[in-house]
Amino acid sequence: MGKRIMKKVISSGLVLALAVTMLTGCRFGFASDPDDPNEETKEVPIDTSVDTFEYDTSLSGTSITLLNSKAEIQVALEKMTAEYEKKSGVHVEVMPVTDGDSPYTKVVSLYNSGTPPTASILDTTDVIALAEEKAADLTEEPWVAEAEGYLTEINGKIYSFPLCIEGRGIIYNKAVIEKALGESFDPASVTTQSEFVELLDRLVDAGIKKPVSMAKEDWSLGAHQLQYIYETYEGTSEGAQEIIEDIKAGKVDLSSYDRLSQFLDTFDILKKYNVAKGDPLGADYDEMAIDLADGKTAFWFNGNWAWPNISEAGASEEDAYGFLPYFLNDDKSDFANQKIQASPSKQIMLDGQIATEKEQAAAKEFLSWIVFSEIGQQMMVKTCNIIPPFKNNPYEPSDPLSADIYTKVHEDKAFNASAIVPNDHWAVLGASMQKYLAGRSDREELTGDIQKYWDEQE
Amino acid sequence: MKSKNSGKDFCMFALPGMFCFFAVVIIPFVYGVYLTLTDWNGVSKVKNFIGLKNFSGVMRDGQFWTSLLLTFKYVIFVVLIVNVLAFAIAYLLTRGIKGQNFFRAGFFTPNLIGGIVLGYIWQFVFSRVFVSIGESTGWKLFEVSWLSDPTNAFIALVVVSVWQLSGYMILIYVAGFMGLSEDVMEAASIDGASGFVKLKSIIMPLMMSSITICLFLTLSRAFMVYDVNLSLTAGAPYGTTEMAAMHVYEKAFTSRQFGVGQAEAFILFIIVAVISGLQVYFTKKQEVEA
Repeated sequence: MGKRIMKKVISSGLVLALAVTMLTGCRFGFASDPDDPNEETKEVPIDTSVDTFEYDTSLSGTSITLLNSKAEIQVALEKMTAEYEKKSGVHVEVMPVTDGDSPYTKVVSLYNSGTPPTASILDTTDVIALAEEKAADLTEEPWVAEAEGYLTEINGKIYSFPLCIEGRGIIYNKAVIEKALGESFDPASVTTQSEFVELLDRLVDAGIKKPVSMAKEDWSLGAHQLQYIYETYEGTSEGAQEIIEDIKAGKVDLSSYDRLSQFLDTFDILKKYNVAKGDPLGADYDEMAIDLADGKTAFWFNGNWAWPNISEAGASEEDAYGFLPYFLNDDKSDFANQKIQASPSKQIMLDGQIATEKEQAAAKEFLSWIVFSEIGQQMMVKTCNIIPPFKNNPYEPSDPLSADIYTKVHEDKAFNASAIVPNDHWAVLGASMQKYLAGRSDREELTGDIQKYWDEQE
Repeated sequence: MKSKNSGKDFCMFALPGMFCFFAVVIIPFVYGVYLTLTDWNGVSKVKNFIGLKNFSGVMRDGQFWTSLLLTFKYVIFVVLIVNVLAFAIAYLLTRGIKGQNFFRAGFFTPNLIGGIVLGYIWQFVFSRVFVSIGESTGWKLFEVSWLSDPTNAFIALVVVSVWQLSGYMILIYVAGFMGLSEDVMEAASIDGASGFVKLKSIIMPLMMSSITICLFLTLSRAFMVYDVNLSLTAGAPYGTTEMAAMHVYEKAFTSRQFGVGQAEAFILFIIVAVISGLQVYFTKKQEVEA
């Protein structure tokens, strides 16, 4: 009998404890938890009073779908499409690509099941793979004229809408550098590889023992770092294509290709000052953001997409962060030492196969709305926090990293080059880069891996 | 009359099940085999018949054979450790020790957590918790993340898989032990069998049906491991822990060589089918009636 009462007491105690924790909401979690429900997000006010966009009233009531592979703007996109629906009567359903699914796999499986999304946000390589077979021709769209230099042409036609410009380089935390050195820091004063090393050494002397963070992720190493060897060939996408063709055809000897050895020199510098030098492959991405914000490090090789992480790690939009170029040598006149890489990354492709004409028209109107309506322009920059590649958009991004890229793009301090490489480039060569980062292979082996990879491509 | 009736029964009871089985297993499987003979890339409308070209692509894909070898190594470790451990724990948990129901539930719990979640939890343990233990104690073993060294990352995979799979196997073995007849045990004791002899000559043969099931389950699960592999190491460091199933996925969807990936999946299927078929055949032969 006593045992039964005990059981009852214990079980009701458990239920109570559970109920209490559920009601109060757990208040623990990591500083960098991206889904922290306790986090307060501030709304950027959107001025909806002026709207000169002409809506096609015959489209009202149409319902279209938008596949979103840019997870960080999911909520913002939903807000944006809700606003668009209010104005135009067109319902846009935003479907997220879940974590772990690749956007390409998702869109292909949707096509195979006969229910493709009307519009999909994809990477450029995906668009190239799918466009001619599936996509609607967008060459005649009005926004084409506003995005000069940022369009992807496939056999003379345009099949995709460039959604945003993204850039990468060596992110610095100005406050940390100034505090350590006790003097003001002008990023423009660092112009060559040696000057960068000099700065690193001064920081080490000033007490920041390992001032650099370097992600071990294969996409960072294999795509964002390694692709410099193609993109800095002459700083254009065409140039990148040219050098890739030459490597494939065996016309360029990688072991004597200067951009590869220069790139590895810089990579070695970052490696030497890496905060996770003891265990570079054990480095944690979230921790890097925290280290940079807290001042344990002063630099992080990454792109403007890292801002949400840095901001969650405690940085505010008033703090001074920005990009240094990925210095390749000591030649001050080399564009690679003066400019950072910035180019359009995500593309919106419209389905031209299954979608009805009305749906296609609605999707096209939505794209034009983003570019030409006052509300769309604002929401693109303020709500989605992306850098639009359209010249007519007057709004400037507010976070320091995007703002820095925005300024650099407008001051010609950025080069627009993105290499179109096979889809497994980042994974296969990312692994080779990891091996090199961990010190388990040398330059010769890495060069051999790169050559072998290209030899295997048809 | 009788045959008409059984036809009706067949339609009522077996047909819906058969239909589902054909629709989701047999037809996709046959279609998949057909796809290995084409150059379909997953998107295009035309599929050209290219014979066995995809299979020669598999032969050239050295990484696939490396990952297959690794999978074999992994399977041997996981199957052995899981079964020995589960058998031993189940034996202890059927001897009436205090709180055995609590322990049974406790050991089973990891199996209820999905492989993906489990992988992320252990990733945190291996790369953060262990490292901070290493930092504060100075133990060499925990100095760097286990996941950044090929050998340790492999051990980590085995440890996590064993931890996840054991609970389920314990449950089956416990059921097997509970089904052992007291009379037989008592008779064996009276005949003078004790300890190891009793285990070898009486318990093991009677437990053979449980062993068949457990071996089959662990074998097929270990061969097809994907979720833990993906979330715990994702092939890291530098692709050294990429198992066969993960390689097949990467080949098909990351490298976008659907034909070759599909052919590799088919080869993997044949290997798993043959091995688990042989295993069931041989262990079944060992089964006895009490």
